[in-house]
Amino acid sequence: MHRNKSLALAASAVAGSLVLAACGSGGPSSGGGKISDDKVVLGLLNDQSGVYKDLSGPNSKVAIQMAVDDYKAKYGDKAVAKNIEIITADHQNKPDIANTKAQEMYDRQKADIILDVPTSSAALAVATQAKAKKKLFIDIGAGTTALTGAQCNKYTFHWAYDTGMLAAGTGGALVADGGKNWSIVYPDYAFGQDMTKSFSAAVEKAGGTVQQKIATPFPNDNFATFITKAGSTNPDVVGIMAAGGDLINFVKQYNQAGMADKARLAVGLMFITDIHSLGVEAFKNTVFTDAWYWNFDDQNRAWADKFKEKTNTRPSFAHAGNYSAAFNYLEAVQAAGTDDADAVVKQLEGKKINDVFLRNGEVRAADHNVTHDVYQVKVKSKDQVKEEWDYEEVLKTVPASEAYAPPSPDCKM
Amino acid sequence: MSAQLEQRVDVELPTEPSAVGRRPVVRWAMLVVGLIVTLALPWFVYPPVAMDIAAWALFAISVDLLLGYTGLLSFGHAAFWGTSAYTTGLIAINSGLPFPVAILGGAVVAMLLAVPIGYLSVRRTGIYFAMVTLAFAQMIYFIANQWRSVTGGENGLQGIPKNLGGLTDLVNSDSFYFYYAALPIILIGVFIAWRTVNSPFGRVLVAIRDNPARARALGYDVERYKIMAFVLSAGLAGLAGGVFAVSHGFASLQELIWTTSGKVVLITVLGGIGTLWGPVLGAALVVSLEDQLASSGFNGTGIITGAIFVVIVLAFRHGIWGTARNGINAWLRKRRQGARSD
Repeated sequence: MHRNKSLALAASAVAGSLVLAACGSGGPSSGGGKISDDKVVLGLLNDQSGVYKDLSGPNSKVAIQMAVDDYKAKYGDKAVAKNIEIITADHQNKPDIANTKAQEMYDRQKADIILDVPTSSAALAVATQAKAKKKLFIDIGAGTTALTGAQCNKYTFHWAYDTGMLAAGTGGALVADGGKNWSIVYPDYAFGQDMTKSFSAAVEKAGGTVQQKIATPFPNDNFATFITKAGSTNPDVVGIMAAGGDLINFVKQYNQAGMADKARLAVGLMFITDIHSLGVEAFKNTVFTDAWYWNFDDQNRAWADKFKEKTNTRPSFAHAGNYSAAFNYLEAVQAAGTDDADAVVKQLEGKKINDVFLRNGEVRAADHNVTHDVYQVKVKSKDQVKEEWDYEEVLKTVPASEAYAPPSPDCKM
Repeated sequence: MSAQLEQRVDVELPTEPSAVGRRPVVRWAMLVVGLIVTLALPWFVYPPVAMDIAAWALFAISVDLLLGYTGLLSFGHAAFWGTSAYTTGLIAINSGLPFPVAILGGAVVAMLLAVPIGYLSVRRTGIYFAMVTLAFAQMIYFIANQWRSVTGGENGLQGIPKNLGGLTDLVNSDSFYFYYAALPIILIGVFIAWRTVNSPFGRVLVAIRDNPARARALGYDVERYKIMAFVLSAGLAGLAGGVFAVSHGFASLQELIWTTSGKVVLITVLGGIGTLWGPVLGAALVVSLEDQLASSGFNGTGIITGAIFVVIVLAFRHGIWGTARNGINAWLRKRRQGARSD
């Protein structure tokens, strides 16, 4: 018995000293130099294997690499960020994985910024981490207005598009074109809920009515029952708020069910990669809002040509958005002379930008939403398509002030 | 698979304490080594991963309490882990109480939930028990999915704070400190499990597992004992789930989905059921393997863990710890016999 006691004592002594030692050494180290860890680490967190792989995915790394190359070419020896590293991770569109990965990227891999993050629920999780870790997060792939609304924070920026902008462009235009009665089918997570809210508001504002709002699981393969239900009220327009692989599945099944002749299809969010994988016929005459189109003008086309050399495909707006966000982040680091998050945020806030992606762009200081001109486009018919990826006809340019709602009162920095 | 499940879970818990267990010196030495490894873990492993290992270890121990010591295979333990994760999160977000209090609240709610579920399911054994618990867990999952105003639905419950009175800033500054702040909760859970197993109550559970008819004939109310074990196990799963949620600052539907129930059973069987040390080992193995594979950019984590599982089940039926312990015992016995014949 004696022996046991002494052993227990020894154990607790060892344990105690370990705890004490731990308190001394394990703390976070604050960077001494201007560039933390002597390098700027850009973290790309997106869907590398699932339904959103094509619209952003691994090719966004190529886009970010192009931004890094352009930054280095522009500043040469004067570049503040000499070592720039790009790391990637797959969040599988799940908020819990995104949450853990973001934490790891900031802490373990010393990422100075996280880019992209499609899937709104995942984006909100990363925004929470960015706020906690006081590191930058520029979202490109997700659409929810909550990022610049109730859940906005100092370190989170929303670069390319949001659901309000998509609804203002597409919803209003279709009602004016005679599509009064709507059925909306949406994936049941932050993005879908947000899209439905924005579209309902836009449709009703233009004088239409939304008869049904049908929630589907996300991700989902079989939409047959939802399509039947959507058609049951004989709507003029069926609005689908899914994106990426889910959108492709839905449209395929929608056409197979013969719905295309009965009701007009409105797509809430579409990437050019979606049109490419189904072909223009499936989307005949579909009107939607695009944040950027590669064949819009010479500047876009020149960048798209460079992108094609490296990837053998044309860029979606998410690819161009990642390029623009990464490049402007590096510009802000250059201007601030450091990669310290607070200094970089100060550089970005209120900045007016015109680049290959942003036209009349402004990083709004009030809510960190990046507003810019967007485009109302129509999918071309087969005989109008002159070359591969030439799928969109720009109907009109929607100026930034019309496309984006003013900063939300919910946002308190 | 189903034929096997219908049979009584076949573990040999030695009728006399094993040589490893009988020698207090060995036992204490093991405990000390275990404690040192636990305390030193975040120095070698990324601290949030270390926290995950600890939480999953307690979760697996809670399953082992049912599977290894009572002979009940619950395939719905995610219900308690997840319910506690959400409850802990809601308490921490809305009240600002220190996180250990929130976790305790989560565990209590998990135990309350376990009373009706246990009452309705312990009347069945084997595959039927597994299916009934799975059905209840799925119900909880869908309730959480639809009850969006409270749980956040698909978005999950975000921004769970790590409050701890005056230490809040320290705990928040680095997950390294949080590990030491939350570890006592896990250790208390493990201690409760250990006390239970090594008590008269635990002996009755083993008796029920091995021969329910005889236990009943001896005057034990078998159903009541099973419900008590079930509720206790749910409480431990709840403690683990609460720690997990606070560590991640996040509770999502992933915590309630049936694959989580499957994963914890896998960890338990991998480590060795009816051993308490086994689940800990299993959790360390599976969680760190998943972490390694995920950060190496390999997508087929399931293939690797699945393959290991198949090998363990086929070749080492008592799990990693069970096999190792039996091996050591056999070796010790041989040596002792050798010494005696000299």
